[in-house]
Amino acid sequence: MNEAIQQLNGALSLIAPEAVMLAGVCLIFFAAPFLVNERGEAPVGLRHRWGFLSLLTLVIAGCVWWQSPPVPRTMGPFVLDELTWYIRGLTLFFGAVLVLLHWNQADDSRSAESHACLLAILAGVNLIAASNDLIGLFVALELVSIPTYLFLLLPRRDAPAQEATLKYFLLSIFSSAIVLFGMSYLYGATGTTSLAGIHAAFSAGPHQVNPLVAVATVMLIAGLGFRLTAVPFHFYAPDVFQGSPTSAAAMLSFVPKIAGFVALLRLMVPATGAEQAATSWSMNPAAIPLLWWLAVITMFVGNLMALMQTDIRRLLAYSSVSHAGYMIVGLVVGMEHEIPKEVLSQPVAHSVSGIGAMLFYLAVYGSMTLGTFAVLIAASRVNKRIETYDDLSGLSRTRPGLALVLAIFLFSLAGLPPTAGFLGKLNLFFAAWSQGFESSRWLAVVLAINAALGAWYYLKIIGVMFLRDPVDRSETEIQIEAPSLLAAGICLMGTIGLFFFPGWIWGPIQSIMP
Amino acid sequence: MTDWLQENVLWLIPAAPLLACLWIVLVGHVIRRQYAHRPLVIGLAVALVASLYLLTVVVPHGFGHEHEPSHSVVTTVYQWIQIGTIDIPVKLRADAMSALMLTMVTSVSLLVAIFASSYMKGDPGYPRFFAAMALFVFSMCMLVLAGNFLLLFVFWEAVGLCSYLLIGFWFHKPSAAAAAKKAFVVNRIGDFGFILAIFLIWQTFGTLDFQTLFESPQRIAEVLKSQPEMFHWICLLLFVGAVGKSAQFPLQVWLPDAMEGPTPVSALIHAATMVTAGVYLVARCTPFFVHAPQVQMIVAGIGAATALIAAITALTQYDLKRVLAYSTVSQLGYMFMALGAAGGGAELAVPAVTFAMFHMFTHAFFKAVLFLSAGSVMHAMGDVIDMRRFSGLRKALPITHWTFLAGALALAGVPLLSGFWSKDEILAVLAAASRGSEHGGFYSVILGIALLTSLMTAFYTFRAYFMTFWGDEKFPEEAGHHPHDAPPAMAGPLAILAGAALVVGLISGPTHLYAHYLHHTPGFPEGHEFPMDWLMMGVSSVLAIGGIGVAYLMYVRSPKTAENLKNRLPIPFLVSNEGLFIDWCGYKFIASPLRGFAKVCELFDRWVIDTLVDCVGFIPALFGSVLRPIQNGMVQNYAMVMMIGLLVCLITVLRALAVTTSGTM
Repeated sequence: MNEAIQQLNGALSLIAPEAVMLAGVCLIFFAAPFLVNERGEAPVGLRHRWGFLSLLTLVIAGCVWWQSPPVPRTMGPFVLDELTWYIRGLTLFFGAVLVLLHWNQADDSRSAESHACLLAILAGVNLIAASNDLIGLFVALELVSIPTYLFLLLPRRDAPAQEATLKYFLLSIFSSAIVLFGMSYLYGATGTTSLAGIHAAFSAGPHQVNPLVAVATVMLIAGLGFRLTAVPFHFYAPDVFQGSPTSAAAMLSFVPKIAGFVALLRLMVPATGAEQAATSWSMNPAAIPLLWWLAVITMFVGNLMALMQTDIRRLLAYSSVSHAGYMIVGLVVGMEHEIPKEVLSQPVAHSVSGIGAMLFYLAVYGSMTLGTFAVLIAASRVNKRIETYDDLSGLSRTRPGLALVLAIFLFSLAGLPPTAGFLGKLNLFFAAWSQGFESSRWLAVVLAINAALGAWYYLKIIGVMFLRDPVDRSETEIQIEAPSLLAAGICLMGTIGLFFFPGWIWGPIQSIMP
Repeated sequence: MTDWLQENVLWLIPAAPLLACLWIVLVGHVIRRQYAHRPLVIGLAVALVASLYLLTVVVPHGFGHEHEPSHSVVTTVYQWIQIGTIDIPVKLRADAMSALMLTMVTSVSLLVAIFASSYMKGDPGYPRFFAAMALFVFSMCMLVLAGNFLLLFVFWEAVGLCSYLLIGFWFHKPSAAAAAKKAFVVNRIGDFGFILAIFLIWQTFGTLDFQTLFESPQRIAEVLKSQPEMFHWICLLLFVGAVGKSAQFPLQVWLPDAMEGPTPVSALIHAATMVTAGVYLVARCTPFFVHAPQVQMIVAGIGAATALIAAITALTQYDLKRVLAYSTVSQLGYMFMALGAAGGGAELAVPAVTFAMFHMFTHAFFKAVLFLSAGSVMHAMGDVIDMRRFSGLRKALPITHWTFLAGALALAGVPLLSGFWSKDEILAVLAAASRGSEHGGFYSVILGIALLTSLMTAFYTFRAYFMTFWGDEKFPEEAGHHPHDAPPAMAGPLAILAGAALVVGLISGPTHLYAHYLHHTPGFPEGHEFPMDWLMMGVSSVLAIGGIGVAYLMYVRSPKTAENLKNRLPIPFLVSNEGLFIDWCGYKFIASPLRGFAKVCELFDRWVIDTLVDCVGFIPALFGSVLRPIQNGMVQNYAMVMMIGLLVCLITVLRALAVTTSGTM
């Protein structure tokens, strides 16, 4: 009994920040109904209090995170290594930005629940990063999915939002089923649910691919590909982005990507840090060509479809698809790096690790895409949100500051200096190019072509903002959205700051991927 | 305390003007606009003190007469990218050469800034002027302090940008806007060469870091053994960069037009500092140039051609500032002649570079005072600068008269003044090169041109002086009836610079103070004492005084002579006045064909490229028309396509697996 309690304590200490966040979730869910009367009305301005409470929860979780440095890996259900630590930091930071974005998106009576859902989603992402067990991983994935359904619907509840939520709900369940299928095969092949155990079984077993494992690999990649919005599992993205509230679209463009990538890393890359060099896994021969093709198709489809959009949200949805493609490039290149340990006799002078570049890009992508959504929220008028190009035309004259900030985010998304997007793409490109394989060099070339394609539609938005005359909308007045302005400012600092001081992020990443 | 200073003085020098720039842009632009010069003056004073301190830091143990390279001071301001093997630091590096250059840059800019605070008074763009000037000084300091070629190039471009901003300061004037554009475009040609040189250096050495490149003779020897011709290409391309920035033939056309900018800008950027960046670049790369004697001969040849052409042109100009501009081009040619003299023999390398840098140093002071005095004249004459419209100003503008005279005497090379010492040493080293066995004949010609130029320099400088300050008193109507002399804020810097023009040479000329200091630059080849050349000193003194005498005879004694000569010899006059038609040739034979070519390109672009682009643009539409039916909003379709995608993935992977397994069995 004592031993069990000790184990539980040990496990809890590994996920202390998540425990704090889930406690916050419980508190909000518990307290919220008491503050709303029978007719479903809440005191005016209640949403500010929920916003502050969410921020407070995140700050406390952040303090706990800072106080819990990585520890060596065990066979237990949770793991707290450098990767977990990094992803947690990322989630908490951008979680705070999302809270700011969401601040005024839900009305006073529904604000509590939607903030709680957001916290639960963030806690879920952190748990994925910390999981060391298939079951824990799946539960954590569902902890992301299920609150997402509520988060999509709660703030607006109109027909488009309902449609978007339903689509997301059905397809998400479908993908979860696929993931579960893959996990069951993995369990069948190895007889254990512990990820460490599975990796151990693979490195001990014969160096040959088991068909069972191959099926599991495909299923896992396909199911998680839904989270990444990898083509052909991306179809929900444009419709859902268009129909759901802006803050939900912002969340969807970023948080599921962290979840998907970190889950893939946990499954596909056996160990990080110092242990990485020692092990390699036989899942790779099946996974790498598949991911290679997914990266290429995702980049091309995302960018080409984005070219034809007139709705800003649909455009951003496709843009998020294409950025997923860029990040998959980093993943493929990083995994490819695993194999040739024994193939290549002399060490390659590799300059940038692919997975490191991918993790760096994740941070960069977060600041620029959330920044873009923050500006879209800040630029919307009373009862009129930004939907098409026309809504943005002439923004440089009506809101010059916002137009400039949005232009910087778009420059970053297009990958132009002096923004972090440039460095992020450069890292991915170098990672792919310097790996020395022909296949990864092709990926680098495709990445470069797609970066050029992407610039087309991002710059087009800038052109609309700066060169076209404003469409006359004098009847609705400008509203000052302080929280989203603050969020845009934070993202701007990230976008510019990571260009000049990439060491902020690169330092922790290098401890993950030496 | 001293340790802290030693470590931080490097970044303090550029940081002070940068802060001034930011302050003016952010704050000074809005409040207290009429005091926008103050942050700049304070910043420059700090930078000057720091530079003077740096002079003592880079050569810590005092300096003796023997050649003893001290190590350079290097600070990494910040590490921008350090990812794997990619390593891009922002690195500042100072040695004896950069310390001297910084002292010159900061002291002249401080004086010019004080002058400008009065000169620019009442201009609507007052804060903008000082912001741009602060940005310029920052960029120039960074250019000098750059620790690698990449950083050097960045700030090489930045000073070009500031020059563009300041030439076009009065951008509503079409001529100013055109001049700014011309300067920028002509500089691009040089920059093209420079960046090619950087590529070549990167390819050959694998690094752009000065410390590794210049302070390791083994590496250079290695490359010399394996690719000897590489040095020629690198040096030639570096020189192309210098030709653009320092306005050498055939790219000198931009500098005279740059006089459209405010006069303090002409004094600072287009006489004293920025245009000498090319000389600095070649001098900095001495460890490379010593291995490319042929390129050094080209340098000398181009320098001589420029000096001569510019001097001929300056003979007949009526615009006071243009006379000074051509004289600047000509003096820069002198510096390149000196640099090129190193091709006459390996032992001449050190004196050649030293004297070129020394001439640059003295030139900065006397040319600055000349320009600022011209600015003072312009100020008093209501912005009229045509020397035919005023004369006899020595009574109306006494201060300006004396300072201009000091600068003119120094420029003409009158004995014991600063121009005399530096010019004489250049002549001496050229004479030494002409005595060399290998290329003696070539350098004899160069020496001849240098002497002829020296005579013409004295003549045209005093022609301008006599036309402006002697003769009958005459004011243009723009000046009003009582033109006023320079106010204190202008007179002070003028007096200091005039004093410097008179004595800087005397202090460091006969004592070789400058030369001994410069010898401490790391990477310089071993040098020995270079003797005074008494013959050249005598000849150049005679030429200087002769030139002044001729000018006196023609413009003071019998003012008709010049007019008569002009009418008697209309064609030589026209040739000189039009600058040997180089500008005209440039338009006729380079710009016009290029314009025609551009026309062809435009047609090609419109009909061929555009069609192609349209076709490419059709691809996404085609692609979309395939995908659009799938993306139709029906959730069951989405699930279906996802399922199909999954199956395709599964089948491909399993088939691939089957192939590999059967292959291994």
